[in-house]
Amino acid sequence: MNTNNEIVSLTNIIKNYDNGKVITKALQGIDLKIYQGDFSVMMGPSGCGKSTLLNIIGALDRATSGSVIFNGKDFNSLTNKELSIIRRNQIGFVFQNYNLLPVLTAYENAEYVLMLQNIPLSQRKEKVMNLFKEMELEGLENRLPRELSGGQQQRVAIARAVVTNPLLVLADEITANVDSKTAQSLLMLMEKLNKNNNITFLFSTHDPIVKKFARKVILLKDGRIDKEELSSENI
Amino acid sequence: MKTIEVSWRNLWRNRTRTYVTISAVALCIGILIIFQSMIVGLIDKAVFTTTNLVVGEVQIHADDYLNDRSLYKYLKNTEKIKSIAKKNNIGLVERSYGFGLISSGTKSAGTQFWGVNPESELMHFDFAKHIDQGTFLSSSSSNKIVLGNKLALSLAAEVGTELVVFVQGADGSLGNELFYVSGILKNVADNIDRSAAIMLINDFNILFSANNMIHEIALNSKGNFEAEEIQNLMSAEIKNVEIDTWKQLMPTISLMTEKMSVFMRTLFSLIFTIAAGLGVMNTMIMSTYDRMREFGIIRAIGATPWRIIRQVSLEAIILTFIASIIGTIVGLSVALYFQKYGFDVTGQGNLSIGGVVMDPIWKSSVSLGIVLLPIALMMLISTISSLYPASIAARIKPVEAIHYKK
Repeated sequence: MNTNNEIVSLTNIIKNYDNGKVITKALQGIDLKIYQGDFSVMMGPSGCGKSTLLNIIGALDRATSGSVIFNGKDFNSLTNKELSIIRRNQIGFVFQNYNLLPVLTAYENAEYVLMLQNIPLSQRKEKVMNLFKEMELEGLENRLPRELSGGQQQRVAIARAVVTNPLLVLADEITANVDSKTAQSLLMLMEKLNKNNNITFLFSTHDPIVKKFARKVILLKDGRIDKEELSSENI
Repeated sequence: MKTIEVSWRNLWRNRTRTYVTISAVALCIGILIIFQSMIVGLIDKAVFTTTNLVVGEVQIHADDYLNDRSLYKYLKNTEKIKSIAKKNNIGLVERSYGFGLISSGTKSAGTQFWGVNPESELMHFDFAKHIDQGTFLSSSSSNKIVLGNKLALSLAAEVGTELVVFVQGADGSLGNELFYVSGILKNVADNIDRSAAIMLINDFNILFSANNMIHEIALNSKGNFEAEEIQNLMSAEIKNVEIDTWKQLMPTISLMTEKMSVFMRTLFSLIFTIAAGLGVMNTMIMSTYDRMREFGIIRAIGATPWRIIRQVSLEAIILTFIASIIGTIVGLSVALYFQKYGFDVTGQGNLSIGGVVMDPIWKSSVSLGIVLLPIALMMLISTISSLYPASIAARIKPVEAIHYKK
């Protein structure tokens, strides 16, 4: 569901890590555009720069050079606080290890980011409960993360990422810790959210199952984009 | 879900650590309450003993009498003083002093003789009730004498012992008389214990050929007035006399009450609050490093550093609040016990501070301030102590924290 509205535009992104002795070139001139409604996947061997690129797009890290324009805003000109606000309001994250807050219930984990946005209690409740229903998480609201299966935890993590209706959801190796059946159901769920709610997804993965669902595949090699290909099957 | 609820749950993730920290902080609060109440109790007792036993809140003497205790330096007009005291309902006693020699058998000693009115002394001061052996004087105790306990010891005198007294009278004549020991005082103050021989003022007048020479008026409102208020009251109307508060008369005790108590309370408060503060800081630092990844996630999903600082500080405040409740219950219970029953220091010999002999039962004095001060200090120090770990958590780079491994 590509509407050709550009959300992210990366121009000549370079990222080096300097530990004082060795400089590691993680990204070596990335140019990439992500459009609203994309359901894209970044693939490549370990160390090719997938996670680094995801972190830079998600405003979790800054590029050494190059520009990141997100929804018209240049990350280079924003303060850390302004980047926090963009992450809070416009970007959702789903991590490999679920990374739910262990003292919060499933409901509260999803609600937390709405609380950060100062959404009133009644609206928070309505949004979370509707989403839980849509994501088949009903009945699990009061369970703590340790009381949920891996797949259920990842569903809650996805709910947390999409509950604010963000422009972009970044998903880093989200199928790494679940079985293929669960991975399939998670991807179907995200595809549904992409189609129904027009939420843009960008995955970083090794998992070929994810590739099957993607409409665009970005192949990275040695810190550069090796190839971008559209999947005719999923368009 | 409120931040306070999240903080509460976080606090109990590592129960053992939380219990240990709460116990340590509670112990510090409890000890501070007990210690401060004991110090205040000691100081209160010192002031009470000083003013109620014999000195009074204010004393009036003739000019320069305290430098040169001459028989002839007596108060000329006592009626005006009496009338002001009566009008303001302030207790008043008149005392005459003279020096001479007292002997019993082969033993003799230089002595300060007191001429007193026993009814007034009993009514307004306590030292007349501080009798170890025998009885104090009454209006019919002619030729009876009450001795300080160390003086009695040096004279080997007991109740009923005959004493020979030699003095130089106001008219230059030699005054001598036989007296009998009516009573021996308990410890009062070093100077009284060693040299006081107390007799009826009429006997004093006869012995010293004096015509009602009053050398000292001691005033005691028993706490109804501050000493300085009485001093100002008298100074406004009485001239050419020395009017001194007990603080001026007994600077050691005054120094102790005003400076030492503040110093000791401050010192101990600092030691215990810093110790507790370091404990809280240590706990919060460990907790922060344990949860580094979580803070990274919270930062990643958009929490500001300020929100994380608030959460970590709130955890420290809740922890201290719980410790305050426990510490107050324990500390207050012990302090109240000591306020009622006291702590017996008889076995350590006489407790004497600045020459004033204290009651051997050391009691605490509990007040709201004594309870609230340690709690307020702990709350403050805990909040400050939590800022360092909170700032560690708040300064986390999300991308590093998410991949942080314990």
